[in-house]
Order: sequence, then structure tokens, then C-alpha cells
Amino acid sequence: MQPDTVIETRSLSKVYRDFWGRQKVRALKALDLEIRRGEIFGLLGPNGSGKTTTMKLLLGLLFPTSGQALVFGNDATEVTKNERIGYLPEESYLYRFLNAEETLDFYGKLFNMPAEVRRQRVGKLIEMVGLSGAKRRQLKEYSKGMTRRIGLAQALINDPELVLLDEPTSGLDPIGTRDMKDLILNLKKQGKTVVMCSHLLADVQDVCDRIGILYQGELKELGRVDSLLKVRDETDIRATGLSPAAVEEVQQVIVKHGGTVKFVGNPTTTLEDLFLHIIAQSEARPGRRVRGGAGDGQ
Amino acid sequence: MVNEHPVPPFLEWWQAATLHWLLIVGGLALLLTLGGLLVVTLERGPGAAFSKLAGLLLSGAKDLLLLSPRRVWALTWLAVKESIRRRVVVAFAVFVVVLLFAGWFLDPSSHHPGRLYMDVVLSATSYLVLLLALFLSALSLPNDIRNRTLHTVVTKPVRPSEIVLGRMIGFTIVGTVLLGVMCLLSYGFVVRGLSHSHTIDAADVTRLEKAAAIMHEGKLDAQTVRDKKDGDSVIYSRPKLDLQTTRDQGHRHRFQVDPNLATRSRTIHLDEEAGHTHDLSYTIRRSTDASGKAVAKLDYTLGPPRGALVARVPIYGKLMFRDRSGIDAERGINTGDEWTYRSFIQGGTQAAAIWTFDLDPRQFPREVPVEMNIGVFRTYKGNIEKGVLGSLAVRNPKNGLTVEVEIFESMEFAVKKVALPRKIVNYSSKQFIARKTPTPRGMVISPPPGQFDPALLKKTEFDLFRDLSDNGRFEVWLRCLEPAQYFGAAQPDLYIRAGDASFELNFVKAYLGIWMQMVLMIAFGVMFSTFLSGPVALTATLGALVGGLFNDFMTQLAHHQVVGGGPTEALVRILKQQNVVTELDPGLGTTVVKVLLDKPAELFLRLMSSILPSFGDFGYAGFVAYGYNVDLNMLAVHLVTTFSFLVPLFIAGYFFLKTREIAR
Repeated sequence: MQPDTVIETRSLSKVYRDFWGRQKVRALKALDLEIRRGEIFGLLGPNGSGKTTTMKLLLGLLFPTSGQALVFGNDATEVTKNERIGYLPEESYLYRFLNAEETLDFYGKLFNMPAEVRRQRVGKLIEMVGLSGAKRRQLKEYSKGMTRRIGLAQALINDPELVLLDEPTSGLDPIGTRDMKDLILNLKKQGKTVVMCSHLLADVQDVCDRIGILYQGELKELGRVDSLLKVRDETDIRATGLSPAAVEEVQQVIVKHGGTVKFVGNPTTTLEDLFLHIIAQSEARPGRRVRGGAGDGQ
Repeated sequence: MVNEHPVPPFLEWWQAATLHWLLIVGGLALLLTLGGLLVVTLERGPGAAFSKLAGLLLSGAKDLLLLSPRRVWALTWLAVKESIRRRVVVAFAVFVVVLLFAGWFLDPSSHHPGRLYMDVVLSATSYLVLLLALFLSALSLPNDIRNRTLHTVVTKPVRPSEIVLGRMIGFTIVGTVLLGVMCLLSYGFVVRGLSHSHTIDAADVTRLEKAAAIMHEGKLDAQTVRDKKDGDSVIYSRPKLDLQTTRDQGHRHRFQVDPNLATRSRTIHLDEEAGHTHDLSYTIRRSTDASGKAVAKLDYTLGPPRGALVARVPIYGKLMFRDRSGIDAERGINTGDEWTYRSFIQGGTQAAAIWTFDLDPRQFPREVPVEMNIGVFRTYKGNIEKGVLGSLAVRNPKNGLTVEVEIFESMEFAVKKVALPRKIVNYSSKQFIARKTPTPRGMVISPPPGQFDPALLKKTEFDLFRDLSDNGRFEVWLRCLEPAQYFGAAQPDLYIRAGDASFELNFVKAYLGIWMQMVLMIAFGVMFSTFLSGPVALTATLGALVGGLFNDFMTQLAHHQVVGGGPTEALVRILKQQNVVTELDPGLGTTVVKVLLDKPAELFLRLMSSILPSFGDFGYAGFVAYGYNVDLNMLAVHLVTTFSFLVPLFIAGYFFLKTREIAR
């Protein structure tokens, strides 16, 4: 194992059995994976492909049927590894009868943090996830987005080196999604390793350095996002301020060099960009209906 | 009071108990380890199994020893919060409602209102608290696993041992606070329910005042006052008036007042009724009215009930029997009762029940108060209004001198009190009795024939300790005087009342008993919930409670002390409608039932009776309600027993949680 390897799995397999020990599902088949320090790794796959199983095996919530899962060089079932890990579960499974402050304080205690450190850290995290106004309310009164935020805050209470995020953007509105993605990128900047699993491809594409694609428990693809998505025999040219004649001329040049023009036109923005743009505009000038989108030349 | 399980002295008990504990805990641990090894060996081979076992034991030792107080406290706090959220207060509200309405249905005019009130509050408390402990402890972890809230906890550096311990402590704190409040409320309820006062019957007040006025005029004095010399003190024997109080709470007290002596302020006890007495302080003012006639006026105050709430401290003796022909025996006669707690002696014969006491004379400078509660078995009805005659004698075990101090009429279902004075002058007989004890070497007679000093019988006055005891050791002999009637006795039936302890403290001890039951329940609940789903854990915990309550019966079944055979044999008898004393017909069927089915069942019962705590033993309601002190020896034995269960339950809970997958 190399020194900067954070997670390593060696032909990790998981078979779910019923009460009588009969095999029900082979959820994961011989997964070999290595995740390095400082990268954002995305596990992709449809529902039931083994993403969450992998996550749970890495956390020691499940025991492997065969193979090994190592986190920081220790077995995944070792409790001490949790000192350096933050985990955001798929749904924020928190105690609904606690309020935000109590929740974070409780998890802080589980890390054996002294009271003073806890207080500082709790205040900072509540600020960071934007729950200052709701920190005294019980979690059962929280909206889904707020629950997600407090879930993220508890995952970061120990300033972890490795953050495991299970469907981090599920249930979030586009602004929340954007914030979450910014936050993930920010974690990377701080030198932390992030492992996330998601079936929202756009999210993964936006933030991940490397991805692995799982299907029916098997790893189908593994590599850097940019190189995996690069269409090597096509070229994309983007320009502004061209007249229609100039565009025509460029096309002719392409044909002259033996290329084929596949598409010429105005690119569309993503709905996400449009939405965020409208919200930003509305906040800047309240009360007025915003026209157009990100691509209308502004 | 019936006490079927006298607790042995702690110092005698702990060694055998420790050995038993080590045997059971070690045996179970070994069994579980071998089972685990077998399963893993079948799955992955012996090498993996042993390395896994070694790893588990190593991390187990670490997890159990390196507990972080802060984490345990955080989890404890969570359990407390969770309990409050799950409406622990409801249990409390139910309790308050029970107390509010119990007052309507409890009859304060019953024979022993104190027992009734205490029985009600103690059983209400224990049922509620045990139910609460059951639900809290058995459902908490499975709920957290189902809601996956445990996922965010176990992915922190939390050891499974801390999760188990935090839950156990948390629920114990909740239960303790609840019990504390219930204890205070119950005490108030009992004291308030029993508190009452009387006034002196109006007609009796007039009678007394008239008598006092007449005496003031000197008309009665000359005829009735007789002085009697007794040593240095003068005892006045005057015609006392029999008076009574009004009837309140279903009873009235009688008492006597000397109208002539009443001019000075005095305080007397009223006669005991419904288990208590009152203090009466009174004065009679005498004067002459305008016409020159003597008048008297009674002033009095009647105090609150005394003695209804007591905690008697008994000193128990060792009970032996003497059969009808005068030979020592371990037990008396069985009069056909299935309940063999009491053993009987035949009236009009040499049969006796003999208690041997060892007392310190300094503790009893004036008298030795004996209290007894004996069973009576009549072979003919006789005069059912009258009790059966019996006698009580004191014997010196060294020289055989026996003095019969009291002849009494048995009072069934009531405590009979006899004070043995230090200086015995009134006695009905004195004689020499030798005890005959059968041993393998023949009959041993004590004291040996010819060693009795006849001079002893010439004395007319005996000192209880100097003449009738051997360095504080003396025997109390109970005999039934009526032929063909029987007295039944068990060791706790006759005791020396050494004094009274604080009732309040005794009441708290009863709650300590419930507390021990609750803590055990919580420990079982949490332990089962580490590997079972909610409803199953609930059932298993309840099973442990019920099994524990029937622990004695299981032990008896396992040791063939119950007629009718083992479980399967009993079932066969029910189906064939065959009674329990005739043997089953010999044959293959009977062999299968007795050997193949009942032998393993017996083993199982033996194991279960060793594993499960006898919850019933921790219920001190009987002691407190009947007014007997819960002694420290018993408390110590039970507290140590409780903790000896907690440790293995905690460790088992830890290993179950450690070796299971939290996620599904």
C-alpha cells in the first residue's frame, strides 16, 4: 500500500444472506479500488448497484463476505479509524428530538472533544451550513434541506481527513446542490479526501476527479473524469462576436481540412445555470421578473 | 411473616456464590466461544476462525477496558433524552392516577390497613417501573438500528461497549429518578392514608368526670383504696374505669383511667387495635361549684397513631423439633399440606418446636421480648371461638433446667408477644429435660444421665441469663397442650425483637429492592436488544423476568422435587387425566418421555435456573408491609447478586453488538 493511499479494497465482496444463511443477493463482487489522499472520488451506478454497500463496508457497518477493506491502512471494522473520518449518510439519520446545537455537541462528545473545543466547533459549523437561525429548533421540525445541512455539519465535526458522502445532493434544491458542490470542492482545497456516491451524474461530473461506475455489484469503469468523458476524435470550438459570414467561413476551413461539421449553433446553458442565474438576479433586484438566462449575452 | 428464603450470612455466602458464578459465567462464555468457532470454521476454515477469535478477544479487552467517560456520558445523556421523549412521564402520570383513586378503594377499616396501603403502593410502583424498564431497554437499540440513527453513531470512534454501557446507565438514571419521586409520593400516601385520630366517647367522658368528682368528695376512697407493699415501691390498686374512644377508621381503642390519680397530668398508651396505639395525655381538674358541689373536668389530647409503621429488627434462632416420643428430629409432622414451609408438633405429647438463641445479655437488661406467629392445625373443631392452648418454656442447653414461663391461647394470624423477664418469678412449672439426639453412633443424651444437679430445682427465682442460659445461649420450647391438635412452626415464626429500626429507611429499602429488579431488567433488555429485533427482545426480556420469578419452581422441577415428573410427563398426565402420584405404566412410551424428553428438559431447566436471577427475592414489600426490618446482610447479598449479573450481561451485550452488522 502506498503512503498516500487512503482507501484500499482487495477483491471486496458482499453477499446478503437470509436468516437461514441462504444467499439472497451478491451485492458486491470482488471490488479492487484505491483512493488517494486529496482526491474526490465518485462512485456511480443505478439503484442497487452496490454503491451504498461499498460505502457501508468501508465504514465497517457491514462485514465483507470475502476480501478486505482498508481505511488508512487499518481494517474497516477498526473503531479508531473513525477519528479521521466524516460520514454523511444517504438520509440524515439523526436523533430528531435533539436540536442542531445538541446534535453537534453530542457527536463532538463522541470524538472525546473537550467542551471548549466543542463549543467553538459547533458554532462555526452551524454558521457554515447556514443554520444559525434554526439552531435551537428540534430536528423533527427541519425541512429536508436543513436536515441535510445539519447532517453535513455532523460529518465535519471532527475536521476529518476523509469524508464519505452518500448521495450528498439528494433532496437538495438547486441552490443547496450548488452550495454542497462548492463545499466539496472546498474540502478538496483543504487537502481532504472525499468519496461520494451518487446517481445524479451531473453532480458527479462537476466535482469528481475520478469515478468508478458500478453495475450489479461489479466495477465497470474506473478513471479520471476528464479523460473518461473526453471525446477524442471530436473538437469543440467556442467563440463570441462572430458574424454569420465568419461562421460560414470557419465551416469551410473545417471542410477544407477534411473534417466534418457536426453542429453549428448557439450553445444552450444547463437548466441549473439558468436557475441559479435567475435567483442571483432576483436577489440583486427584488420585485422584478427576470428575463432571459445565462446565455443571453449578459 | 412468611420468609421462605432466609438469606445466609454474607461472609458464609460469598465464597460459594463466587465459585458458582465463575462456573456459570465461564461455562457460558466457553459455550458461546465454541459455537462461534464452529460457525466460522464451517464458513472459512479453522485458521480464519482462530485468528478471528484472537482478534475479537484482543479488541474486546481493549474496548472493555479503555472506555471513555465522556463518550459514555454522551450516550447516557442521549438515552435519558430519548426516554423523556418517549413519554416516561406517562408512567408517572399513571402512578399518580393510581394513588388518587386507590384511596377510594382501600378500606382503612380493614384489619391491617398499613399492610394494605403498602402492598398497593409497592406493587403499583414495581409493576409500572418494571414495565417501563422493559419497554425502554428492549426497544431503544433496535429502534436506533431500524431508523439507522445508530449509523451516524457507530461511524464515530465509539466502542460498542460504550453504546451498551451508556444505554444501561441512562435508563437506570431515568428509572432511579422516577422511583425516587414515586417513593416520596407513596410515603406521603401511606402516612396520610393511615393518619387519623379519635376522641374519647362522650358518655365515657361524663362517666369519668362524675367518678372523679365523687372521689374528690372522698366517698369512694375509703372503701376501695388498698395499698400493697412490694419491695420499696408502692403499687396502688384502685378501681380503674374502662373507657373507650369513638370509632374512627373502623376501630376504637379501649383504655383504663384511674379517676383518683387523674389530677396529675399523665400520658398512657391506649390498647392496641388495628396494629397501632395512640398516646393519651390527660388531666382532671377538680373544683367546687357555687353550690359547694364537687365538679371535675377532663382535659386531654389524643396523639397520632403509633406503631402502625414499624420496622422490627428480629433475631432469629435455629429451629429443631422433638417428636412425640421425645427424640430430636430435623422436622416435625406433615399434616397433609403441600406447602411444607411449616412443620407441625402434636399436642399433649412430648413433641416440641425448639428454637436456640444466642444473645448478648447486655443487650437485654430488663427483659427479652419474644414475638411469635404460629400456625394451628385442628383435627377437631372444638370451640372455634377459642384458641388452642400452648406453652412456652425456656431451657438451659447445658444443664437441662427448663422453666415454663407462659401458657397461652394461640392467636391464629396474629403476632403474639411474650416478654421473658430477666428475673423469672412467675412460672407454671420447672423441671429437668434431657434431649435425645439420634446419631450414627447411637442416641446421644444431653446432658448425660446423672449429671443434673437437683439443687437447681429448689430455686424459686431464676435469672434468665445466669440460670437458664449457657453464656447467652438458651432454648425456647413451644408445645401444644391440647391432645390431637397441632401447632405448626417455621424458623422465622418465633423471634426475639431486638428493637425497631427506622420505618422510613425500611420503606426506602423496599424501593431499593424494586430498583435492583429494575436494573436487572434494564440490563437484560439492553443485552437482548443488541442482537434481537425490538418485539423479540421485548419478549425475551419478559421471558427472563417470568423465568426469574419462577426460578424456585424450575429448580425444584430440575431436582425432582415436584410430584408428577418433568414437563413432558406432566403433559402426558394431563392428556391421560392421570393423577400425579401413580407411576406411569412402564414401557417404551414412558421411557421416551422420561429419558429422551424430560432429561434434556431437566438440564435446560437447571441451566435456566442458574442463569436467571430470582427476581422475586428482591421484592421486600412483604417485609416492609408486615413491619420487619430489611437487614443489611440481605441487602448486601442481593446487591452483590445484582451486580454479579450486570457484569456478564454488559460483556455479553458488548460482544453481541460488536459481532453483528449494524447495517442491513
